[in-house]
Amino acid sequence: MSAAELTKLSPAERHKLVSVPIDGHGLKTLLEAGMIWLKTNQQIVNSLNVFPVPDGDTGTNMVLTMQAAFDEVEKSGMDNVGKLSHAVARGALMGARGNSGVILSQIWRGFARALDDIPTMNVENLVEALVEAKETAYKGVVRPVEGTILTVITDIATQAEVSAQRTTSFTEVLADIVQAAEASVARTPELLPILKQAGVVDSGGKGLLCIFEGMWRFINGDPLDKPLTEVMPLSDMAMKNAMETIEPGQDYEVVIDFTPKSTFNLEDYYEELTKIGSSIQVGEGEGIYRMHIHVPQDNRYQPIDHTMTLGTIKKVMIENLVAQMQEKNNNKNPKLKLAKVQPGETAVVAVSPGPGLSRIFASLGVAAIVQGGQTMNPSIKEVLASFENLPTEKVIILPNNKNIIMAAKEAASMTVKNVAVIPTISVPQGLSAMFRLIPDADFDEIVSSMTEAVHDVETGEITTATRTVEVDNVQVEMGQVIALHNGKLISSAQSIEEACEALLIAADTNEYERITLFYGEDIELPRVNELSDKIRSIYPDHEVEVHEGGQPHYQLIIAIE
Amino acid sequence: MKETENIHNELGSILIQKDAIASIARQSTLQSYGVVGLAPKNLGENIRQMIVKDAKYGVEVAYDHDGLVIDLYIVVEYGTRIKSITSSIASSVKYNVEKTVGLPVRRINVHVRGLRISNMD
Repeated sequence: MSAAELTKLSPAERHKLVSVPIDGHGLKTLLEAGMIWLKTNQQIVNSLNVFPVPDGDTGTNMVLTMQAAFDEVEKSGMDNVGKLSHAVARGALMGARGNSGVILSQIWRGFARALDDIPTMNVENLVEALVEAKETAYKGVVRPVEGTILTVITDIATQAEVSAQRTTSFTEVLADIVQAAEASVARTPELLPILKQAGVVDSGGKGLLCIFEGMWRFINGDPLDKPLTEVMPLSDMAMKNAMETIEPGQDYEVVIDFTPKSTFNLEDYYEELTKIGSSIQVGEGEGIYRMHIHVPQDNRYQPIDHTMTLGTIKKVMIENLVAQMQEKNNNKNPKLKLAKVQPGETAVVAVSPGPGLSRIFASLGVAAIVQGGQTMNPSIKEVLASFENLPTEKVIILPNNKNIIMAAKEAASMTVKNVAVIPTISVPQGLSAMFRLIPDADFDEIVSSMTEAVHDVETGEITTATRTVEVDNVQVEMGQVIALHNGKLISSAQSIEEACEALLIAADTNEYERITLFYGEDIELPRVNELSDKIRSIYPDHEVEVHEGGQPHYQLIIAIE
Repeated sequence: MKETENIHNELGSILIQKDAIASIARQSTLQSYGVVGLAPKNLGENIRQMIVKDAKYGVEVAYDHDGLVIDLYIVVEYGTRIKSITSSIASSVKYNVEKTVGLPVRRINVHVRGLRISNMD
């Protein structure tokens, strides 16, 4: 049967297929539903790839394994659940592709062994089969890794045992299993640190969930051939905000971060959004959802109002795309002039949060730029890619943000090049380090000199609070302007000017000579000029400079040296 | 056959014993799905293993002029697809060794020395 045929079955027919005892025809239909739903979600499972671990095509491998299993079933024409599941196991074994495919084939093997050759199956048999499936899966490895498909099958089997205590209905047990599998998949990043780092759940576990979820959707008569949403890992999403062209009806871009209520239904949410706008993306990571949509001007607040009814909004970003495009076309981004390193020289890679800062870094002799900052941490892969092709073995990375240091160090550990990470936690520290660069000097000397330079500068950052919080004895209301000194919250204020003054006092500006303001994309130049005049009047002996930084979220990044 | 590999840098040399590489390969093999154990390479090793635990047990590391050659002697769970398992092992061992020691792995030969039968179907 095709996906459409499966969905067309009447509720009565569906009910008959899955009421106990289940015969071969029922099991076969369920398996098919599971396989179709897995296939529908194949790309989503594939995208849960922990770079650069091998076996990054889990979705495809699992689909091919299931397909081989199902072909075997069709060929055998069995109507006995035991014999039919042996056919599944045999097909899965022969067609097992990749690690997850092999584990899946072991799961079916255990499943089949427990059912042996019984003609029909009740809930008790199902539980036995799932427990045996789990045990067989574990037998295939001496040192099982938790936070993988193995954990998910364990949780499924355990839940099945519990549920069978209270009900003999297959449908009810399956409902519980699907829920347990979902929770189990969501828990995988807690068990396996590499998943957490990459901001994804385990792909094999997710694939197994899809199979059971497909069965459940079939019982409910839900469509099987259309994925719920294009949910991608959050880490993939943040990078996609650059636009090439815009179409009519895409005046504003709205991005909302929120934590949904427990009753949240992704599919309904998605459907509602399609009525409001286009280019919809929904991403998920560690319990936070990020929604991205393009809307016509009149609808620009609707996504917020709608999302608010479904969960707690953490953050909203609205950008005027039309204005952004015009600006882009106006200055036709003069190409960055990056330093050309020679073999044997030291190359510097800087992470930069905005185009203006990138230009400044380039003018100071940086050989490669990675886009990234506070809310858009570059992936290890991006950092790695930035320097792998430079014609030198000696590389220095300036992460310029506390959250990016880890990724930079990971990237450094993955290459054969000689890479040093200078732990700069802010852009001013990175710039200060750049002043010490002598590309053809001894590598270790450059590194230690640049590392020292980090302490030559005081960093100030001015931004808007995204939530109400109290940190380090500073009470902050959402929407207030806050000042950070060397990454530490020191003051909250009603205006940027007020926050700036508090910052300059906290940073002991009198002990220094120069104040440089890098203004972000959220603040207009005239306002920055007014502000700099005011600072000049307070600190008449200091040199005050203003540069375009272009960074998002931070109205100002301030270097005091 | 030399026992250590050298990586030179401007301060001096880093010497990596084959045993070190072997234990990384061993660890990574044992974590691979489908592998239920390592097997002795020959009779001598079999006897040695009874007396003293050896990191190289079931693993052989050699170095030819352009990279490491690693031989793995494994026991596989009966009823799993050996072709898939062995290619997974090869890629995860290559990845882990290259990531940890930074030397290129040229070849990985996986020898299936036996099957463990936990259940006959």
